[in-house]
Amino acid sequence: MSKNISKLTGRKGLRDNLFDRLKTDAVQNGGAGDAEISDHYFVGKSTLLGSRSFYDFLDRAHLNKKAWICNGTSCLCSGDIAGTKSKLEKKLGEGNVGTMTCLGHCYEANSFHYQGRNYSGTQMIGAESPRTYEVRCASDTCILTDSNFSDLVDFQSALENLFKCDRLTVLSVIKDSALRGRGGAGFPAGLKWESCMQVEANTKYVVCNADEGDPGAFSDRYLLEQQSLRVIFGMVVAGWIAGANEGVVYIRAEYPESVSTINHFIQALQSEGLLGDDILGSNFNFDLMVIEGAGAYICGEETALIASIEGRRPEVDVRPPFPTIEGLYKQPTILNNVETFAAIQRILDLGGEAFSAIGTDGSSGTKLVSLDAGFNRPGIIEIEMGMPLSELIFDFAEGFRQATKAIHIGGPLGGLVPIEKISELTVDYETFSQKGFLLGHASLVCIPKSFPMIRYLEHLFEFTKDESCGKCFPCRLGSTRGFEMLQLAATGERLLDKELLSDLLETMEIGSLCALGGGLPLPIKNALQYFEEELSEYFETDDLIKVKQL
Amino acid sequence: MNSSEKIAWIDGQPLTISTGETILEFTRRHQLNNRIPTLCDDPRLTPFGACRVCSVDVALTADGAVRTVASCHTQIAEGMQIYTNSERITKLRKNIIELVLTDHPLDCLTCEVNGNCELQDVAASVGIRDVRYYQPVNHLNKEKDTSHPYMRMDLSKCINCSRCVRACDEIQGEFVLSMAGRGFESSIIKDDDLLFGDSSCVSCGACAATCPTAAISDVFQSKSNVADETVRTICSYCGVGCNLEVAVKDNKVVSISAPMDAEVNQGHTCLKGRYSFRFYNHPDRLQSPLLKKDGVFEEVSWDEAYSFIEHRLKAIIEANGPDAFAGISSARCTNEENYLMQKFVRAACGTNNIDCCARVCHSPTAFGMQQSFGTGAATNSIAELDETDLMMVTGANPTSAHPVTGAKIKQQAIAGKTLIVIDPVVTELARISDFHIQLKPGTNVAVLNTLLHYIVKHDLVDHAFISERCEDHEEFIRNIEKLDPLEMCEIAGVEPTLLEAAAIAYGSAAKAMSFHGLGVTEHSQGSKTVMLIANIAMLTGNIGRTGVGVNPLRGQNNVQGAADMGCQPHQGAGYLPLSEPENLQYYEDKYGVQSPVTPGLKIPQMFDAALSGDLKALWILGEDVAQTDPNTNHVIAALSNLDLLVVQEIFFSETAKLADVVLPGTSFLEKSGTFTNGERRVQRVQAAVPPLKGTKVDGQIIVDMMNRMGYQQADYDAATVLGEIADVVPFFSGATWENLSDNGKQWPIIADGVDTKILHQESFKGKKGKFHYFDWKETAELQDNSEEFPLILTTSRVLAHYNAATMTRRTANELIVDEDILLINERDARAKGINSGDKTHLYSKRGEVNLTAEISDKVKPGIVFTTFHFPEQMVNNVTSAVVDEETMCPEYKVIAVDIKLA
Repeated sequence: MSKNISKLTGRKGLRDNLFDRLKTDAVQNGGAGDAEISDHYFVGKSTLLGSRSFYDFLDRAHLNKKAWICNGTSCLCSGDIAGTKSKLEKKLGEGNVGTMTCLGHCYEANSFHYQGRNYSGTQMIGAESPRTYEVRCASDTCILTDSNFSDLVDFQSALENLFKCDRLTVLSVIKDSALRGRGGAGFPAGLKWESCMQVEANTKYVVCNADEGDPGAFSDRYLLEQQSLRVIFGMVVAGWIAGANEGVVYIRAEYPESVSTINHFIQALQSEGLLGDDILGSNFNFDLMVIEGAGAYICGEETALIASIEGRRPEVDVRPPFPTIEGLYKQPTILNNVETFAAIQRILDLGGEAFSAIGTDGSSGTKLVSLDAGFNRPGIIEIEMGMPLSELIFDFAEGFRQATKAIHIGGPLGGLVPIEKISELTVDYETFSQKGFLLGHASLVCIPKSFPMIRYLEHLFEFTKDESCGKCFPCRLGSTRGFEMLQLAATGERLLDKELLSDLLETMEIGSLCALGGGLPLPIKNALQYFEEELSEYFETDDLIKVKQL
Repeated sequence: MNSSEKIAWIDGQPLTISTGETILEFTRRHQLNNRIPTLCDDPRLTPFGACRVCSVDVALTADGAVRTVASCHTQIAEGMQIYTNSERITKLRKNIIELVLTDHPLDCLTCEVNGNCELQDVAASVGIRDVRYYQPVNHLNKEKDTSHPYMRMDLSKCINCSRCVRACDEIQGEFVLSMAGRGFESSIIKDDDLLFGDSSCVSCGACAATCPTAAISDVFQSKSNVADETVRTICSYCGVGCNLEVAVKDNKVVSISAPMDAEVNQGHTCLKGRYSFRFYNHPDRLQSPLLKKDGVFEEVSWDEAYSFIEHRLKAIIEANGPDAFAGISSARCTNEENYLMQKFVRAACGTNNIDCCARVCHSPTAFGMQQSFGTGAATNSIAELDETDLMMVTGANPTSAHPVTGAKIKQQAIAGKTLIVIDPVVTELARISDFHIQLKPGTNVAVLNTLLHYIVKHDLVDHAFISERCEDHEEFIRNIEKLDPLEMCEIAGVEPTLLEAAAIAYGSAAKAMSFHGLGVTEHSQGSKTVMLIANIAMLTGNIGRTGVGVNPLRGQNNVQGAADMGCQPHQGAGYLPLSEPENLQYYEDKYGVQSPVTPGLKIPQMFDAALSGDLKALWILGEDVAQTDPNTNHVIAALSNLDLLVVQEIFFSETAKLADVVLPGTSFLEKSGTFTNGERRVQRVQAAVPPLKGTKVDGQIIVDMMNRMGYQQADYDAATVLGEIADVVPFFSGATWENLSDNGKQWPIIADGVDTKILHQESFKGKKGKFHYFDWKETAELQDNSEEFPLILTTSRVLAHYNAATMTRRTANELIVDEDILLINERDARAKGINSGDKTHLYSKRGEVNLTAEISDKVKPGIVFTTFHFPEQMVNNVTSAVVDEETMCPEYKVIAVDIKLA
């Protein structure tokens, strides 16, 4: 929350951002450059270590590994982490294989990271092409998977059209589209952009949240790697409307191919004069850069992401102020998810109303869905909002590869949908919420019948405990205590105290600062409700609670 | 409640809301402080939202849906229904505290903060009894950090609220503390995970003060509840005037903290104010009058000492006239004592030979500002930093010498307000400034004239202001226009483009606030520099409104007051010039004796007169002139030549050694009175403990001697003397002991007690602001000695020590800084073959000292820098006898020296 550190590091500007400097120093010098860096930015050495020590990938123990195996939820449920790990260790040596969560290969549930690239787990080191995934469009109007925006000529003509319009007209198209932010929270994009446009400031920024951390989700990775120009174009439009001249694509380091692809296109656009100063003689200056994450799920939360870029500890900040008013370096900032930006080009193409006609009243347009390896036809599918979930699962995904008891939809903080509830749901924000679930980023992870629910809940608590920024008490302490309780129960050491677990879940749900601690109770509660029988053996039967006297 | 006011409801009670406030602020404003508990909130810090204990249920309408929000960062809205104690909220709080207690030692009864612990209070208020979690992993085995002379850290008691980190950042601006790691493993670090004692911590204690538990504390266990009583008083370590709360047990000071409601310091202090008090009962304290007999001091009774002085002084006056006697008063003493001291010298002894240490620090400020504005005091208040747009700091290092104000300036600069620093040294503020004009020492006039030149050149002049409110500006502007800025920049060694940009910034700012320190005054052109700073403010219309002005950072705690009280030879109490017969009559009416008419001697003149034999007796109150005045050998020779030297002191100082009689006075902790801070704020000093055995309150000593000299004066009582001052000093006329209350009043205090935040709002004391033009002139020190001594030494202070360090050296501050260090630029060091850590011989025309060298880029080539805190080193052996042309303030800041490996 340090406004001072934002202001101090902001003096150096985005190109000389503290985060990149910290990462380079940590990886290359083991943090030996602290004295020089703290002098350069006028911040404390504690500021630097405080930030550096937050990230998994800047930790010495992590850096000393040779390969990192994905331990995300899909790999856990449908893959063979232990098997792949032992194969890798045979090749690279015992103790040389670490973990990453997750590499976005959920369609195969088996992958690892080696020498700056991600590989499919069935291939071993040296294999060239990782397994790809199928991309389909289930809508007559393809918005995000449309292949007609793939070269610089398309980009240039779209820009030329844009510059012929006035800003307010373009903004109204976006408002008319009723596009809701695709990161999970679903805030109307047009309102966000308008709010940023209306603030007077010399410096504004556009930030693309490409820190797709939800295990099970890889739709942003698809867009970054295969619809790069759409993502970039959406950011340029945002910058042009708001009056920003600089943007950042913050991409998680777990997606090295996304980083190189976006970098490639930024350079190509720069050399064609489609990014940079006075683009196409429009007097509009806009440039982009990629900032790579360093292994912290919480950076997908917008305030943490901003803090990360600034070199602060990526702890979640309180709001207000919202980023549109005080965002990156405390300047007005449009911050949206990859998929939100990616939709802009087709929205301008089709018109706002045409876009809003697709989907449901509350959830307009199409949505990418990530189908994991638990389905017979995994991959990315673009659907119109409102599609019955059963249609998606049984017609398009062609059902389950193995006996499945639930689908975890919308990431680790999304709802846990038991098989029998599939028929009641349609894929849109409202229905999910009404039925006590959450669409989130629309990733679907299958939980096989054979996977003990108690272990799944332990996994969710463990994920939250590992990724909690630690700032708010309910999440920092609650996720750890929840993990301990579930672990003891799963190993049979101690039964669960129902009241205590219920108290803990409510404390996290209503007390947490952000959606991590606040969101975890949803899938846990779903499981307690729909898998009561399976879980009953882990609970104390009487209400006598073992207590420790103060 | 009128109908236009907006209302929100708290637990069913309608109350007015104020736009932009949070729910928590709303409840605090309505004094419902106990309604919502918190752990991570400190009202001085930005809302953080970590502990969630302040959660409340909120509905936007009476029957609307209820949701739980953290009150510290949720804004209040009209019609909002707030439920602070719903069943859900009560349970939430209890459950959060239970979680906290899973990682907190349950040893309250033996804990230092038992009874004064926010966690304990909240736990009690939510009624927690059990911790239900089974064998939770915890951090209870973290070791206590006892490495620092003052600070203590016990992270087993930390609840990760980050208040310490935020206080270090948002109050002090140091960034020594941070949270490190992630999630459950996150914990507080200092620097890159050092111990407190090895870290760059400035020991301000803000972290310990805000810590809700005993995780960060101090050696004095300031947060424990052992005190019998706490006494509110004023710090004696600098002109900021921080309010302190002194905890006393068994008539001993056990710890010091700072009241949150203090307007000056809002609960903050530096390490001197908070921790450096152990000098007060140090074994070195003088506890008996000493009389030198045959060259050897003997302990004598007060009566014997008084009688000796009385006879000797009366004899000297009788034989040589009253002007053979002089007094030097102390800016560390109260207004009441200073008033009495000048009254003693003037009314009881009949001479105007009274001066004080303002002579060696801010006399040019008082003089210069009087020339320009008619009043020699800060025009504005420090609180206006919040409202200004630009700060210009000339010749001052406030983060070391005025730490609480320094931290405030730093905060504003970090927040984005423009900062111009004019200083030969890269100070902490210079480091983060927008414009650091790193001039050659002794070229202030050249730089300020150039700034003025550029302001005129770019027509950033407030023509309406100067034509209505000022005089002599036409001629001034003509002179300034004639200047060759490039030549001036060459002289000062600064880039013209930098000066031009700084001038444009100052001239364009809607509100510019100027601060200056001894780097302005302690020069041969010191008074002229002050007048040029005043010119810049007047020329740009930066006078008489909020967030502007000329604000000297007064060095000693009561140097403003000492001068206000008349401890200067040419003006009596309240600055009435003694050259005017009606003023002599005024004082005659007040004091009941004839006023002396001969102009008095300034301190350097006193030394000259002592050497020449014209001055026979000198009374020095709380001032170690032998260590702190320049050209030590000259001072010692002068003092040694006196027939009678009386020194009133708390320690056996370098000056006391030369005395005939030493009278043991008292520290600020043992006396009552008032101090006036740098923003003219008269604040109550209240005795926390009785005078140490064998000592007397200095005011009483003076009263005793006044009576001995035949002038009747009642025994020292702060309120009574303040009443007398209010009768004599016009701008104190409305001050009473009672109405000064907790936060004091800023003079002028008019008859009904109304005080004055901003001077010169309508006019300059009924007159016009006066412009003066001066050409830059090289100091004689460099003209005469540069060839032989090619380097320039400039001196200043460090954070841990105060002036001659008589007080701070008798505290654990000596463990933090234990010697004066000589900073040398790498180029000069190489040329002389000196490395960091080498003993270096520093010598000038007057004398020599040996100091440890440190190679530093804080000084430019050709410049060396040191401090003068340690008598072992006696840096003032080398300082010169050159003085300010108007006020005789010594030129400490420019000394021709050379160095070699010792």
